[in-house]
Amino acid sequence: MGLKTLDKITAALENRPAELEQLRKQGKKVVGWLAYNIPEEIIYALGLIPIRIGQGGDGRLVEVGARHISTKNCVFVRQVLGQFAEKTDPYIKQLDLVAIDATCIQLYRLEELINFYFDYNTIVLGVPRNFATTEGHEYFRKEVEFFTKKLELFAGANLEQSRLEEAIKIYDNIREAIKTLYRYQGLDNAPLSWRQVSSVINAGYNLDRLTYLELLQELIQEIEKNLSEVTGVREIEARIFLSGSLIPPGDTKLIDIIEQLGGRIVGDDLWSGFNFFLNLKITEPTPYGVADAYLDRVPHGSLPYLDLASDGRLANLKHQIKEFNADGVVYHTLRYCDAFTFKAGETKDVLGNVPFLEIHTEYSGSDIEAIRTRVEAFIEMIKSKKEIAELV
Amino acid sequence: MAITAPFSYPESIKEKFIATPGLKFKDGSTVSSAEIWEFMTKEAPRRFPYAFDAGANNMGRFSDDVNFLSGIKRGYLTLTLKDRIMKEHAAGTPTVLVQGGQAMDAYYAAGGLPVRPGLVMQWARNMEEGLSLRQSETLGLNILESGRRKISIDACNQIAAHAAIDNKVVPIDLIAPFLCLRCSDMSFLVETHRNREHDIPRYLVDYPVDHENKPWAAEYIATELRELISKIAALSGRIITDEVIFDEIKLENRGRRIATEIADLWWGAENPPTNSTDFFGIAFLANDFVGDPVAAVDLLEQSKLEIEERVRNNVKGFGVPDNAKRLYICGSCVGPNAHHAQTAGAIFVGRDDSWSCISVPVEEEGDPYLNIAKSMLAYPYEQRTEKRAEWTAEQVKRSRADGVIFMYQWGCNYQSGVARMISDIVKEKAGVVTTFVEVGELGRSEATEQSTNRVEAFIEMV
Repeated sequence: MGLKTLDKITAALENRPAELEQLRKQGKKVVGWLAYNIPEEIIYALGLIPIRIGQGGDGRLVEVGARHISTKNCVFVRQVLGQFAEKTDPYIKQLDLVAIDATCIQLYRLEELINFYFDYNTIVLGVPRNFATTEGHEYFRKEVEFFTKKLELFAGANLEQSRLEEAIKIYDNIREAIKTLYRYQGLDNAPLSWRQVSSVINAGYNLDRLTYLELLQELIQEIEKNLSEVTGVREIEARIFLSGSLIPPGDTKLIDIIEQLGGRIVGDDLWSGFNFFLNLKITEPTPYGVADAYLDRVPHGSLPYLDLASDGRLANLKHQIKEFNADGVVYHTLRYCDAFTFKAGETKDVLGNVPFLEIHTEYSGSDIEAIRTRVEAFIEMIKSKKEIAELV
Repeated sequence: MAITAPFSYPESIKEKFIATPGLKFKDGSTVSSAEIWEFMTKEAPRRFPYAFDAGANNMGRFSDDVNFLSGIKRGYLTLTLKDRIMKEHAAGTPTVLVQGGQAMDAYYAAGGLPVRPGLVMQWARNMEEGLSLRQSETLGLNILESGRRKISIDACNQIAAHAAIDNKVVPIDLIAPFLCLRCSDMSFLVETHRNREHDIPRYLVDYPVDHENKPWAAEYIATELRELISKIAALSGRIITDEVIFDEIKLENRGRRIATEIADLWWGAENPPTNSTDFFGIAFLANDFVGDPVAAVDLLEQSKLEIEERVRNNVKGFGVPDNAKRLYICGSCVGPNAHHAQTAGAIFVGRDDSWSCISVPVEEEGDPYLNIAKSMLAYPYEQRTEKRAEWTAEQVKRSRADGVIFMYQWGCNYQSGVARMISDIVKEKAGVVTTFVEVGELGRSEATEQSTNRVEAFIEMV
């Protein structure tokens, strides 16, 4: 089914760089942000334009970035650095401020390098490793308050509660819409694919948030109008759940391979994907309230948590696998992304009987065939298992 | 590996050595220099032959400067570490895995015995005695690889310490390091222990980034330090008061002060009064305390007197090349081989990692938890990279270094991430040549040619 709203989103995205250029001429400021805990609501409420930055999948840019960092840093960090070095990306070249939170400390290093080598105005939001403790919350509240004050200075405006309330409402609605889209892509008669939802999410990070919300609502209406019943014999499919390191826009290597081999991605718990939209409920429209809500949502794997049994990230993973009726997990880890790489074996243990495949990779193409062989065997195994189950 | 005669201390220095003071320990005991001599010339070569391997590739090789008598005592503290830990542990002192390069005051004050990953590995290797260098390294590598098999090949060598704990090679009672900007692997490796058969309690003392002018950062750490100290005290049975903590702070501050004075003496001398091995080995005592702050401070005092005398008499340390090129070393966990560097005509004059926490004393009045927290946050090494580099450039100037080598090890995401930036800033601010080198051979003495070649080429260029 061709969804016309998807074309509208694509068109809006194509126009966005020119639109930003105009807005900047009118005095608006663009804040490029990166990581997991930047409270975008506050940026938006201050009248600034938030743009999520960072792309993956380009080995050439990785090399450009590596001139300023080392090969022992993850490829995503290297590529983003490459993007800043080249300044050809239509969004990177329009940034007035770069805001990065320190959930992943490699991204904190990235902020330092961007500031030093490429002369960008930057701001860091500290994130506690002990995020589940009272003192961790207290620290983060103060950090968000400090972050807000710095943004106020940058914006030349004070944060008004009514504006923050308005922003929170818009972002809540966006999160709800994304959850709805995820539910639809996971259906047997899915009107759109996981890849399409992923593209919609990525587009949204660059678009005006209100426009984006309207487009999401339009897309959902269009989907609901055209939902059809499953008819005929269902083909046996391998429903794959993606977990592990981030898969940013542009990094399609693993997704391509899975789909080319007949696998169907039905869900993820990536911080660049679905997790970002889960369990974030701001009940108090203040910087402290925003801080608490961000810290209490599904934790990021870069924040260590020392008790396995009560780990919210793993609980969410198990829940999502069940929710999306996934047959197996492809656990994607980027080289030197220690946060997720070190957890691979443990995640496999925790998931027990759920088929599990770890793919440890970079953005270069040299391992494509090796990955293809492993994914092919994994998908075949899942399908065979389901075929046998149907026969029995 | 070349077979060479093992290193030994000549009988000709025995009389002079045993006339020097022994060492005092925190349990109130003392060891005479005669006993130290006996240990270092008879017992240790038998029990730990690897430590006496005289091959140039042996990174842990003792100093050739046998007339620097404090150096022999430094070796004694290193080689008795296992016995001292095991004895204390058997008597109920909790052993705690900690991070390197951080203040140890809180751990010792609470009655714990802090051991950083490097010492855990040394301890683990020493659990089997009578090993040659190759055998000892193989044992260490087996432990390391068992860790990598369980966790990841991307892990830095620190994983060996965690594997030694997992494999029950050494008894650790609490895993509770400080986090900081030096290390990418520690927090994630501590987390891996939650999925192991052992049930060793765990705790992390968080270290906020970008903390300058943020009082809430120190308050956050101080609250965590209270939790840390109560956890250790619960294991040690020690009753903790502010006075107990301040006693420890005062002792360790004394060590820091003496180490700083030694560095100033050394830097101000016309001729380097010791070789690189002795200089680093002694100064490092105020950073690590090798399981016993009382003994470490005692040895620092003795070392200072010896160095003062050498400086007064313009004595050049044995092994220091004529017109030696002075190199300042940056980075965590690894460093160039001092023996190779000396052969190539260079001497090491400082190290940002070790010097960082030595340079910041803890305030001795007020709230001891907050004081330690503030001290930790003031470590130059843990500042934003630009600030850290500026401090390093000052150190380079003060130590009259001719060049800087930034070394980081395989798998280290955080030091590698800033190696280029620090090198660039120091080059500009201090006006010296800089280079950065990645090494993968930490813990072994074979296949070291790549890094040796780079370091030697740099020295030639300097």
